[in-house]
Amino acid sequence: MAEENLEELEALEAASDEDAQKGKYMTFQIGEECYGIAISYVNEIINNIPAIAAVPEVDDYIKGLINIRGKIVPVVDVKVRFGQEPFEYTDRTCVIVIDVKSTMVGLIVEKVAEVITVDEKEIIPPPSLNQTSNGKEKYVFGLVRVGEDVKLLLNPERLIGDEALD
Amino acid sequence: MAEDFNMENMLDIFLYESSQLLESLENTVLEKKDEDCFDEPAIDEIFRAMHTIKGSSAIMMYENITKVSHKLEDIFYYIRESHPDNVPHLELVEHVLDVSDFITGELDKIRDGGDPDGDESGIVEELDEFLTQIKSGIEKAGEELPPENKYEEPSQFYIAPAGGGSVKYYKASIYFREDTEMSNIRAYTSVYALKEIVDDMEYMPDDIISNENSADTIIEDGFHMLIKCKHSREEIIDAIGDTSGMERVEVNECSQKEFEMGFHEPDQEPIVIELDDKEKEKKEEKKIKTEPVPGDYVVKGKETGKGKKLAKNQSKSGPKQSYISVNIEKMDSLMDMIGELVIAEAVVLQNPDLKVPGLDLTNFQKAASQLSKITTELQDVIMSMRMMPLTNTFQKMNRIVFDVSRKLGKDIGLDVIGENTEVDKNIIEHISDPLMHLIRNSVDHGIESKEERIAAGKNPRGKITLQAKNEGGKVYVIVKDDGKGLNKHVIYEKAKKNGLVGDRPITDFTDKEIYQFITYPGFSTKEQVTEYSGRGVGMDVVVKNIQAIGGKLEIDSIEGAGSEMTLKIPLTLAIINGIVMLVGNSTFVIETNAIKEFVRFSKEMLVREPGGEEYMMLRGECYPFIRLNQRFHLAPPETAEGGDGEEGIVVVLEHEDEFICVYIDELIGEQEIVVKPIPSYIKKVQGLSGCTQLGDGSIALILDIAGLISGNERR
Repeated sequence: MAEENLEELEALEAASDEDAQKGKYMTFQIGEECYGIAISYVNEIINNIPAIAAVPEVDDYIKGLINIRGKIVPVVDVKVRFGQEPFEYTDRTCVIVIDVKSTMVGLIVEKVAEVITVDEKEIIPPPSLNQTSNGKEKYVFGLVRVGEDVKLLLNPERLIGDEALD
Repeated sequence: MAEDFNMENMLDIFLYESSQLLESLENTVLEKKDEDCFDEPAIDEIFRAMHTIKGSSAIMMYENITKVSHKLEDIFYYIRESHPDNVPHLELVEHVLDVSDFITGELDKIRDGGDPDGDESGIVEELDEFLTQIKSGIEKAGEELPPENKYEEPSQFYIAPAGGGSVKYYKASIYFREDTEMSNIRAYTSVYALKEIVDDMEYMPDDIISNENSADTIIEDGFHMLIKCKHSREEIIDAIGDTSGMERVEVNECSQKEFEMGFHEPDQEPIVIELDDKEKEKKEEKKIKTEPVPGDYVVKGKETGKGKKLAKNQSKSGPKQSYISVNIEKMDSLMDMIGELVIAEAVVLQNPDLKVPGLDLTNFQKAASQLSKITTELQDVIMSMRMMPLTNTFQKMNRIVFDVSRKLGKDIGLDVIGENTEVDKNIIEHISDPLMHLIRNSVDHGIESKEERIAAGKNPRGKITLQAKNEGGKVYVIVKDDGKGLNKHVIYEKAKKNGLVGDRPITDFTDKEIYQFITYPGFSTKEQVTEYSGRGVGMDVVVKNIQAIGGKLEIDSIEGAGSEMTLKIPLTLAIINGIVMLVGNSTFVIETNAIKEFVRFSKEMLVREPGGEEYMMLRGECYPFIRLNQRFHLAPPETAEGGDGEEGIVVVLEHEDEFICVYIDELIGEQEIVVKPIPSYIKKVQGLSGCTQLGDGSIALILDIAGLISGNERR
């Protein structure tokens, strides 16, 4: 556990390394909730979801492979990853391509919202033992209030990480 | 030309040349290790290699390398000149290998950006002792002189047996202007140029490259050369050229005697007139201090001139091939780009815009076929550029057999067959370690001790055969020994203990299946771990490495007579010919080579077992039958009516003499595809070996036939 915390810390440090990107989070919507991911992880956003080549015999949240200018990148349906019902892909569906420790993964999200700046002090640790979160709390390392809304900040390493390793 | 001595380039060249030399030296040594002594060409080669390394390491100021190579050079110089017959050959072999290891180690450090800081004194001492030892038979220890001085005299002519033609001797001097910087390097440039035409030469100061102070000496009293060659005075002046900073060049003929005297006689020509007495003394002091050592006369720099001489003197002169060494990264990026080009070509040639009815494409098709031809050739070229013979890898094995067998006190010979077989560079990198492990295993576990061998009525000398051959688009690398072989009962018992076999009796398994157990993790029939096996690399790692490149390990053995390990590896990984096909909504690719035939599916051919397994009857033969969509749990295609797949096609695939029928929905066509790995984020799926990008930019998955077959068997 201690090691995981350490990793988290390192990830945060890495994110805060670059001043321009410090405290900036890309937010997106999945279901009812709005999530945020540190912008330093984000490589690019693909607006029109490209053709996905399904890979058989993998976890259901891994939707398959997409081709980004000759690079073959796996894509993950974040909603399925959170254990929620899958959703129909529309033209608002986006792929956020993130790069976590040199692993490129595309995240399929319902809608990309905006980039927000968050003061580190405002980040509240998630309440533990939330029965209704459907396992979400594993991926969320903090909450932040922006105006009326609460955004859930995601730990991308956990998000794409292997469940078996947790 | 040589004005800009770029240190970085020089370092690269130094590293490259030195490692090449060491490699060939090691080969020579190992080749001759079983003989009683080195023959002359071998001695020459070792001597030359050491000499070159000594020289270039001195230029690069790597002192420890210089010292070690110098010592070994001394020994070989002695052997070459005095032909002592009491040389303990094996000991000498070990010394050479020690030196080679030491230098290789230091070179590695340099390559990694470090400093060569290894301590050479131990090796130098050993070499000294050895030299004294071989000398003791001939020379008395009364003389205090260091070994170098002993052969100083002959050193001036031994290098170049005077060829035919009228040999002339010259004395040449170059004077530089006082403000010339790095006159030593400039002088060296001339030496370098002269080396092309002279038979032998000597120069003073002789340490122009290693000693920075020599620049001052040269400015003060010029740079002097003694030249022996068949060229005229003008030609020499031409060769010296006109490097900037040169004030004047003097070339005069001299007698042979003067040449042979070298610079050692203080009463040479009065070239030091301008010097006052004090300086003259200084200079003489210097001369004494820098008393030349034998090697310094030999080549004095690069070995080009030397190589030429060699070719003249020795009868064997194979066809000369010229090589350049290319950064592997550049090769890889070229490879990638050609891969992209192939895809781009497909995008253009299969562009949907072309499918408009009524278009006249005659000219387009002509141009397209020309384009295809060129890209195909381009691929062939890049593939052949990446192909390398296994020679180097095999030679490394020679060394391992030698080292390990000597440590274990076994007498083992290694036979190498087909080392010229060419394999993709990437693959070579991957098989080196597994191969090393197999060889070690053979030496350590396979071949019995001498006593056991004699008791078993075998030749006391063990034999390991390392063979490579090309067969059906694959490379076979076979390691065979005539040792004790594998005991299948022991393996079976061990497998049973490890819970690998369940309750099945030994008769349930074929021999090969039993042998395969030794490739399971944590499986070792040898209880004790020796220095050479069990260094954390087990057979399971070997198999993993081989599988990573799409290869396979087969084990065969006859108890008491030896075992045979066969690595079957693909020739290349990067571009394959494949058939693109549709199953459900997914596109798959199968390597064309693996496909035996296509058959239109009909229900009559299908045999269904009560257990649900299906077989296919084809011309009286029965094959296992796989429906890819069921196998991979794919959604049925939207267009299929009834979903029973009456319209489909059966592809008969062959892999290692095993056949399997795969049911697919639709064939799309044949295409050259660039194999890309499935991103590691997605865990390995059995039956898939990679993915590729098709002409329209979509992604297809490449089927792994071996995986399909073994996955089917397991069910």
